[in-house]
Amino acid sequence: MTLTRPDTSPDAAPEVRPDRPARRERLWTWMLVPGTLWMSVFFVCALLLLIALTFGTTDALGNPRFGSTFDNIVGIFNPTYLRVIIRSLVYAVAASAICLLIAYPVAYAIARHGGRYKNALVALLVVPFFANYLVRMYGWQTLLSDESALMTWLRGLGVPASFHILDTSGAVIGGLVYGYVVFMILPIYASLERMDVSLIEAGRDLYGTSLRTFFAVTVPASRAGAYAGLALVFLPAMGDFISAQLLGGPDNLMIGNLIQDKFFAGQNWPLGAALTMALMILLLICMFAYLRQTARDAKEATR
Amino acid sequence: MRMVATPDFSRRRFLFGTAAAAAVLAAPGCAYMTPKPNPAATRPVEPKIDGDLVYFNWADYVDPSVFDGFQKEYGVKVIQSNFDSMESMQAKLAAGNRYDIIFPSAQWVQKLTAANQLRAIDPSSLKNAPLIFDHYPYFANPWYDERSSHSIPFSMYKTGIAWRKDKLGETLSGSWSDLWNEKSKGRTFVLDDRDEVMGMLALEQGYGLNTANTDELKTIIDKFRTLRPYLRGFSSDDYNNLLAGDAWMHQMWSGDMASLLSQASDASIYGFEAPKEGTPINSDTYAIPVNAEHPGTALLFIDYMLRPDNVEKNINYIGYPMPVHGTEDTYQEIVGDYPECAVTIEDMSRNLYFTNDSVAKTQARDAAYTEMKVGV
Repeated sequence: MTLTRPDTSPDAAPEVRPDRPARRERLWTWMLVPGTLWMSVFFVCALLLLIALTFGTTDALGNPRFGSTFDNIVGIFNPTYLRVIIRSLVYAVAASAICLLIAYPVAYAIARHGGRYKNALVALLVVPFFANYLVRMYGWQTLLSDESALMTWLRGLGVPASFHILDTSGAVIGGLVYGYVVFMILPIYASLERMDVSLIEAGRDLYGTSLRTFFAVTVPASRAGAYAGLALVFLPAMGDFISAQLLGGPDNLMIGNLIQDKFFAGQNWPLGAALTMALMILLLICMFAYLRQTARDAKEATR
Repeated sequence: MRMVATPDFSRRRFLFGTAAAAAVLAAPGCAYMTPKPNPAATRPVEPKIDGDLVYFNWADYVDPSVFDGFQKEYGVKVIQSNFDSMESMQAKLAAGNRYDIIFPSAQWVQKLTAANQLRAIDPSSLKNAPLIFDHYPYFANPWYDERSSHSIPFSMYKTGIAWRKDKLGETLSGSWSDLWNEKSKGRTFVLDDRDEVMGMLALEQGYGLNTANTDELKTIIDKFRTLRPYLRGFSSDDYNNLLAGDAWMHQMWSGDMASLLSQASDASIYGFEAPKEGTPINSDTYAIPVNAEHPGTALLFIDYMLRPDNVEKNINYIGYPMPVHGTEDTYQEIVGDYPECAVTIEDMSRNLYFTNDSVAKTQARDAAYTEMKVGV
């Protein structure tokens, strides 16, 4: 993920003949078509179906049927679901915070001190993504199980036998961090990489300590990247169910697990749809908070 | 980059286009409209080749060499696909996929038959059917399928408790209350299955296996709350949890004992008991969906699968007993030291089956299970 400066070499623009504006705009409009089609097929239509199913019922075979009942919407205001939603929020926030703490030093080190290995290091970060998330989670499950080599070794070091990692909230949050930390590193790296080094030099010239310069110059410059990273980690972590399913115990279920249960074993698509809508509304609120924050920052930056 | 919109062109056009696209693409949603009632009867078919076999089952449920034999003998291909739960099987069927042979559990045979989704099967058209029906009279008229007219039994299993003898002792008390075991605290698992967990608690309390009674559900929820502190998790990966050492005690399907015993480095450390309050009994079956394209091949395949030599191969492969006369010893050899794994006629006559109920009652049970699963 390299950021190339706009190419301003003279031979890049041989003969710029200004097109008639109308034709140009039509070209831009046509370029929107594939994306619009894709989104309407796979997102908007699916979403409309989901909204419709929120008012639906189930037949004897468990097939969803369109209907006009509000039972499913009433059904989600059940202390059980609210408790799980709050738990998921806590896990997702914890995972985002830990990701930020891990990602910032990594991104900083690569962007400022990576030298000519920068791109290779970034590529290395992406390598684990060659294997599917689910497969990697199964790997963790094996690695952390009670009679695994790791746990046996820890016990040899004097860790009490009752200690285990698998099936705890720590393992679930760890799984989320492991799964999504790259989405935090990359935007922070991008913003730090793009930052003008002379700003730091200017800070030092003005007799700022390196710590002070860091907080006054580097942190504000990378804030947009960190916000983007927080959004990219928090949103999928909130809906994740694989980490809780494979690494969590009976007290660590997340809202994603309940939704999955409703759609599969529970055969109650309408309730699953209602829960999905509730989750989406919650995430939308978080998304708006993010957009407002970035808009405010952008305004400050231009002032 | 600023986009100067020409509002008249792009916005209206865009909206029209999207609306049209949405209308076309909402068509799959029609699957969720209430369907018109199905025509009931299907013409009986002969067991003879009428095309390749489109096969739909759990993964690894039939010995691959049995497929090879069928393909060679009859010169047709077996086109395989798998499901991972009865519910996802139903979802695929409801979406209009056409399969020649499926393997529903007893409970699902009843549901599918009631919804006219299964083709009638005449057992007398199968050469090997007497191996079942002459020796296992139970299947002549099982609860889930009147006179076995839409299904042929495939396998049988029950649910019990498996435990680590080296950790918890040579024997347990033979009751579902063994799951509340102090020594196994934090290493006990229940199956991740609504009916199994609620059924276990219902049996322990002396209720009907499929209770949806509000008071009884409440007691079951409360009773489960006392089990939670002992639990490490909900998981249907029973034998792997035992093999990995995470589980010392596991609510377990008898059929998985064979996998456990064959993969364990020391099989003697595992025990299996069928609690005295009763164990849920289940069976999987062969069935032919009503929209199957090659029902003749499917019937022929069922008959082929019932040949004792093929049944023996499958028993050895998946470790589940099958109600086919002449293959009982094969199963005995696998689980000889674990007589409680076997599914006997007495087991079946106790009528502990997961049955179907109205949508409202099923959803009441599901809500109770969600509450149990989420905990405090």
